[in-house]
Amino acid sequence: MVIVLVLSLFDWELLSAPEFVGLDNYHRLAADGETWHSLGVTAGYVLLCIPLQTVLALALAMLLNQRMKGVRLYRSLFVIPWMATPIVLALIWNWIFDPRDGALNSALALVGITGPDWLSDPDWALPAVALVSVWQHTGYNMLFFLAGLQGIPQELRDAAATDGATAAQRFWRVTLPLLNPTMFFVTVTNLIGAFQVFDTVYAMTDGGPSGSTEVLNFRIFQTAFKEFDFGYAATLSALLFAVILLVTLAQVRFFGKRTTYDLS
Amino acid sequence: MPKRILLYAALVAGAFISVFPYLLVVLTALKTQAQLSSTPPWLPGLPPTTDNLAKMLGGDFPRYVLNTAVMTALLTAGQLVFTTFAAYAFARLRFKGRDVLFWLYVATMMVPSAVTMIPLFLIMRELDLVNTWYGLLAPYILGTPYGIFLMRQFFKSLPAGLEEAARIDGAGPMTILLRVLLPLCRPALGTLAIITVISSWNSFLWPLIITSGDDTRVITVAIATLKDGIGVDYHLMMAGSLIALAPMVAVFIFFQKHIVRSVVLTGLK
Repeated sequence: MVIVLVLSLFDWELLSAPEFVGLDNYHRLAADGETWHSLGVTAGYVLLCIPLQTVLALALAMLLNQRMKGVRLYRSLFVIPWMATPIVLALIWNWIFDPRDGALNSALALVGITGPDWLSDPDWALPAVALVSVWQHTGYNMLFFLAGLQGIPQELRDAAATDGATAAQRFWRVTLPLLNPTMFFVTVTNLIGAFQVFDTVYAMTDGGPSGSTEVLNFRIFQTAFKEFDFGYAATLSALLFAVILLVTLAQVRFFGKRTTYDLS
Repeated sequence: MPKRILLYAALVAGAFISVFPYLLVVLTALKTQAQLSSTPPWLPGLPPTTDNLAKMLGGDFPRYVLNTAVMTALLTAGQLVFTTFAAYAFARLRFKGRDVLFWLYVATMMVPSAVTMIPLFLIMRELDLVNTWYGLLAPYILGTPYGIFLMRQFFKSLPAGLEEAARIDGAGPMTILLRVLLPLCRPALGTLAIITVISSWNSFLWPLIITSGDDTRVITVAIATLKDGIGVDYHLMMAGSLIALAPMVAVFIFFQKHIVRSVVLTGLK
């Protein structure tokens, strides 16, 4: 109950900004090119991470759902990235992305590729940050898919196989539809998380170079804690909230239509 | 069987990528200050030293580990109890505005955390709870929307017939929850527990804002402060991270089988 109370107070805080300053903040928002740039960066980040980490997680789960030697060890190893403190990870990844003697470019040099400057190159900084997210979340999501797969009775797939369904047909017509509730949970929670990415950006690039990783949540933090413009930060938060809400509602509709799963 | 070999090659490569950054943590934790600058991060310093670990364990760090463990235990216990009741209500009880309330609750996950921190902090200051255990625990001990979302999906996957049978036998909602449904929930509760343990153990922003003294300092904050001093003591930071990480990995490996079996979110009825 306290949580609900606290959050209701917060919602009031959120709404109080437009109430007291009038619509000034929103007029400002409409003309604020930097914010629309941030929103674009956020969208880019989400598009880089989410499809990749979802597909990878599902593929891994299907691989590790088989009977094989050491399967438990592999499952554990893949989940390990999820367990550490974000600041430490950001530090380590900064070493790995170091353009001259970082592990990544050294590895690329071995196969004759000159790697980019990663975090100091405006074109590569965002993909680099997204890569860390994929690295960190794939195994965690794999757990949910694995559990989902194990909840699907093997007889269903066997029956499809006897009816002459190919492996691809079995995947698209049987496995994937039955994974829908898992898919729903994973994509909803991941998208909400990705739209709000902050820790890795803060610790790895500080929004740079030249604003190329300045996601909206980072800009909100800057506006509130560096420029102490809390009213406007609240307006930006309302914008981010609205975007996430729209995307989530779209997902609810999308998944609601495609499944017998009861969303109500 | 070349397919099998290919499969294993992919798994080994993937596992290596997963673990590689941690390898750097371990290697750095075992280096001296001099080795830190003379060797690249991915090569071991020879001979390895355990001085950093000893130094961290000899200072205030064990106390911060204990603080973190206490915080984690309390938050996890709170989450399990309150989330179970809330998720049960959202999944099974019928009352007016239930779904609206549920989606409002999920919507709170969508509010950027950088912004919730300010009003939360102000509220804690009004209540005079800054730098206290109450302040540290209050916002999260009553469960999280994420946990409720997860448990609700699970409750929804349990057959409705179970409940109806119990109701015909005269059981009220409380008896149904505690006697009939809860035993079936054990695996899901296990999953929720491990997720809460790991996220509480690693929580950073809120402890950083709300606490400043040794009594309530947690390991993430302690590790971050090593970065604030003059120059960064990478080797000490990594030793601290290693100490912080070890219990989590142990917990995970120990409960691994249980967890995977438990995250049941299938819609089959």
